[in-house]
This record gives sequence, structure tokens and C-alpha cells, in this order.
Amino acid sequence: MPELPELNPVIHGKLRLALLSLLMGVEAAEFTWLREKTGATDGNLGAQLMKLEEAGYVAVEKRFVQRKPQTLYCMTEEGCMALAEYVAALKELLGETVIGNR
Amino acid sequence: MSAEKIKVELTERLELIESMIAEGRRSTTRWGWTIVLWGVAFYVAIAWSLGLFGGPIWWQHYMAWPVTMVGAWLLTVILAKRMSQRNETPVTTVKRAIISIWTAMGIAMFALLLPLGLSGRSDQQVAIAVVTGLLGMANAASGLLLKWKAQFACAVAWWLAGMWSLFGTETQSVIAFLVGTFICQIVFGIYAMICESRERRRGAANA
Repeated sequence: MPELPELNPVIHGKLRLALLSLLMGVEAAEFTWLREKTGATDGNLGAQLMKLEEAGYVAVEKRFVQRKPQTLYCMTEEGCMALAEYVAALKELLGETVIGNR
Repeated sequence: MSAEKIKVELTERLELIESMIAEGRRSTTRWGWTIVLWGVAFYVAIAWSLGLFGGPIWWQHYMAWPVTMVGAWLLTVILAKRMSQRNETPVTTVKRAIISIWTAMGIAMFALLLPLGLSGRSDQQVAIAVVTGLLGMANAASGLLLKWKAQFACAVAWWLAGMWSLFGTETQSVIAFLVGTFICQIVFGIYAMICESRERRRGAANA
């Protein structure tokens, strides 16, 4: 039976997976919105988003709205593809575990 | 790791993906208040144009609708900006589509009604039919997009009000518009606000 490490390790982390999934449903989202939805701390969230950015799965736009800094995140095409591949791999693995249990 | 443990973990991951995508797509934008605000603006404009606020005749005839509508538009923009800054809602395709539909309707209304009024080629019944037709179109498009039957019902109500306005007398056309505004703006707007508040409470409980 295939082991867990075969899944994309960048996406497999729970918070990173939650972030990519959240961004899949929107065009762009602010850091504060992502923090509210995931319940993560600023430091952890920033670190995980940076990992996703380094992998090319997330794009960042920094801007000022009424003199207040605002950081917008959106999913890249690579990110979409990676998540789709991850879901396909998950389903495949789940199928195998079900068969393996029989 | 046992096969059973792996299965549980993988299932958890799949559930996490599904719930987070749904969370992101769930429109957290509040629209209900804008519907009520425009309903109130329609009533103010009608009351003003019928002379209930007094003032010279030209003031009632030529200023009531343009001033009220521009005022309502400005108020909508200012309040929407303030709310979006406070709530930091994400940009979704549905949100952008809804804003596009209502912006296009607003522009179409100004582009049609202003020349109709200034050229004198229209009477009150035709003007009401144009307004209700466009409101019906925007409500129908939004209702279909959001798969919201109540909003589509509002579209039908607006179209019926438009037909009533064209086939009835001048007084009946005003009544049709007043009834349409009450049902589709005030009642539906309050209902939308209640639905949004319920949705937010559910969202907060799930967070």
C-alpha cells in the first residue's frame, strides 16, 4: 500500500492545505480573513503562506488602503493544479486503503 | 501506521478541503441593507415628487428622482466601502458578478430615464414600466446566479408591476410601483438581512 509521503509534502500540512482550499473558493483574500477562517496565529500563518509562496502555489500583493497596509493572497495556476493532483492522489490512496481493509 | 489510521487521516484531509472551499465560496457580503435602502429611497422620491415635502412644482417634478437616486447611490457606495473595510471579505467571482449586474442596471436606468424625461417622449406609466422591467431583470439575474427562488420571485413581481402600470391608469401605475417596492425592496430586503445574519452566525459557529 502506498505510504503518506507520496502525497505532495508542501500541501499535506493541515494549515497549508486549509489555506489552499480557502483560496480555491475565492479570487483573492486578505491575511486577516485567512487568519479568521483558520484560527491560526499571525506567525504560523505568515510562515505557512511563505512556504506556499516559495512553492509558487500562492501569489501575494501588498498594497495600502487608506494608509493601512493590506496583504492580498491569491492562488496561482500551479497551486490549483497541485491541489487537484493532491485530491486525486488522496482519493486514490483512500480507495486503496478501503480495498486493503477488505 | 495502520491502514485504518491512514484512512482516517486521509478522510480528514478530504473533509478539510471540502469544508474550506465551501467556507471560501460562501458569500459573506451583506446585500440586504442595500435593498432596503433603495426601497426607502424610492418612497422618498415618490413622496417628494407628489409634493408631500412641499416646495415649488419644478423642484418636485425635476429634482425629486435625480437627487434621491444620486443620494441613494452615494450612500450605498460610502456604506459598502466602510463595511468591506471593516469585514475584510474576500473577492469572489459571485460577488463581482452581483456587483456588475446591479451597476449595469443602475447605469441603464440613468441612461434611459434621464433622456426619456428630458425629451418628453415618456409618460409616468412608461417610466414606471422601464424601472420595474430593469429591476426585474437585475433581480432575475441575481436570483439565478445565487439560485435564490425568493429573489427570482421578486423579479416576477417587478415585471407584473410593470405590466400593471402599462395596462392600468396613472394612479394604478403609482400603486403598482408602491406595492412592488414594498414587496421586493422592503420585505425582501429585511428577509435577506435575516438570512445573512443566520448565515453569519452559522459561519461563526463553524469557524
